[in-house]
Amino acid sequence: MSALLQIENLQVTFNTRHGQVTALDSVSLSVNAGETLGVVGESGCGKSITALSVMGLIPMPPGRIAGGSIRLNGEELVGASDARLRGLRGSEVAMIFQEPMTSLNPVFSIGDQIAEAIMLHQNVSYDQAFKDAVALLDRVGIPSPDRRARDYPHQLSGGMRQRVMIAMAVSCRPKVLIADEPTTALDVTVQAQIFDLLNEIQRDFGAAIVLITHDMGAISEMADRVAVMYAGRVIEEASADQVLDSPQHPYARGLIDCIPVLGKQETELREIPGVVPPLHMLGQGCAFKARCAHARPRCGVEKPLLRNHGAHPVACHGAEEGWV
Amino acid sequence: MSVLLDVRDLTVRFGLPKPSMFAPRPYLEAVRQVSFTLHEGRALGIVGESGSGKTTAAMAAIRLVAASSGQVIFQGEDLLTLSEADMRARRRDVQLIFQDPYSSLNPRARVADIVREPMDLMGIGTPEQRQARVEELFKLVGLRPDQLSLFPHQFSGGQRQRISIARALTTNPRLLVCDEPVSALDVAIQAQILNLLAKLKAELGLSYLFISHDLGVVRHVCDDVAVMYLGKIVEIGARSQLFDAPQHPYTQALLSAAPSLARRKSQGYVRPLKISGDPPSPINPPKGCAFAERCPKAQQICRSTQPTLSGAEGHQVACHFPGPATEAGTAQP
Repeated sequence: MSALLQIENLQVTFNTRHGQVTALDSVSLSVNAGETLGVVGESGCGKSITALSVMGLIPMPPGRIAGGSIRLNGEELVGASDARLRGLRGSEVAMIFQEPMTSLNPVFSIGDQIAEAIMLHQNVSYDQAFKDAVALLDRVGIPSPDRRARDYPHQLSGGMRQRVMIAMAVSCRPKVLIADEPTTALDVTVQAQIFDLLNEIQRDFGAAIVLITHDMGAISEMADRVAVMYAGRVIEEASADQVLDSPQHPYARGLIDCIPVLGKQETELREIPGVVPPLHMLGQGCAFKARCAHARPRCGVEKPLLRNHGAHPVACHGAEEGWV
Repeated sequence: MSVLLDVRDLTVRFGLPKPSMFAPRPYLEAVRQVSFTLHEGRALGIVGESGSGKTTAAMAAIRLVAASSGQVIFQGEDLLTLSEADMRARRRDVQLIFQDPYSSLNPRARVADIVREPMDLMGIGTPEQRQARVEELFKLVGLRPDQLSLFPHQFSGGQRQRISIARALTTNPRLLVCDEPVSALDVAIQAQILNLLAKLKAELGLSYLFISHDLGVVRHVCDDVAVMYLGKIVEIGARSQLFDAPQHPYTQALLSAAPSLARRKSQGYVRPLKISGDPPSPINPPKGCAFAERCPKAQQICRSTQPTLSGAEGHQVACHFPGPATEAGTAQP
């Protein structure tokens, strides 16, 4: 059985004033129906670029998909026509963005905006689409939805706006829902509500969710499988339990160890020294070598590939040779 | 252990636009009768969601926002009654670290000048002494002296936050107010800054007023914790008590909402305590308990009477029905 969304060896480059940089370097990911894939990493690791590539929203130029494939239900999206991508966006793949205020149009009521998305993909009248929009608002837990549908984005709180975004994203029952840091701008109690809502929606609609986050706690609560990204590459991929309980890559281990955990008290947090190198200064070998406590000469010359050395796929020479 | 900062019944009101020319001006009470004490060498965390008044309370305590009433006793004197000139002199003992290291450093100044500026303003030391102090502080916060002549944009977010910390330390303060110092940083960098703050607290005997919405971070840094909701402290106590035996339903909800590595989807994890909705508007706060609308335990009395902070000295809670979270959230008679 092939996966619902299958990304293989995706290569995305950008022309910058530092020359051409590789934002995604042979990224391979897959997600099945009804499954949640967590994509985790620090800012600049390429997790949002991965999402935008699937949506066909990479600005070209300066961006370019230099290679690889993205298949949705077996259909190739790399090189598909703009018209075809427009048809797929919203109906087959939908995205929830980080900032609900800037991704809603301030001059249209939220009911209108959801109805617009429905009318773009389904052959229905405005009245019917608006009725559907009200039903969706009710489904995502907005109180008195028929009145709220006439409200404008500025009349809603951050959590409500994100619920509207979710309603819009699921309006055409997409098969894949990409949530790019959906709760970063929200408070924790509201974040918990949104996570619970996403899980319910997944149960109801059977959608595959790709959850992009930098928060390992969110991964733990939401994800079935996890891909850890660093400097444009996937460096570890496994089930959420495997990554959280026995991370193989020193970076994945660092990401888990550096979180202050509510249930335990340490005197000092383990930290990952240094910062992510800029993409134009990656040089040869492993991108993590400068921050890695285990780095050996081989890490400086040879790029580690994502391979299964035992437990699950990991891109690390140390994991391969058993010295990490 | 002596008391460094004693805040009593601090209230901050902001005027709102008048509905008509002759109507009385309506007010928004952002901070309502907040009291806490911070001991020498300790860290007090103020936790709450956006709009809870945690930043306003801390800013009013150091007179960066005008308080409407209350007292702030710092090292024996009431800061709120000091003259402008006397307050200026006190500022030496109280410094701040802001949330966003990108907007809190002047982009056109070299970092050495940024770090030295508080000493220039307060006339501390000779120029040579100031320069030596800047270099010393740079090393203390983990930066290299050869980076002194660079501009802020040449540093990463974590490094900029280190520069902010160095600037805050130039005047040898007793109290450091940290307003969400790590929430703009990546997790891996967060750990570096939190470790640095812990090291400085131990080495320099600093006291922190630490504002954050992240319970994990607060638990790591703070000795005592106050939880705020709609301008009021709803629970305050020592870290261990507040995290291990929270009494207020809101504290319990916050702890239950914070994502945790211990909760796994694979194990069919269901959030034990869910609260719905958003906090009420501070313009027209409810007559009774501000949390009553969202509270699983709320009874008639919660909607009519405001609970007051009560309990033993080390752990106080403002709730009519305090106690551990119960099954299905029903109230205990």
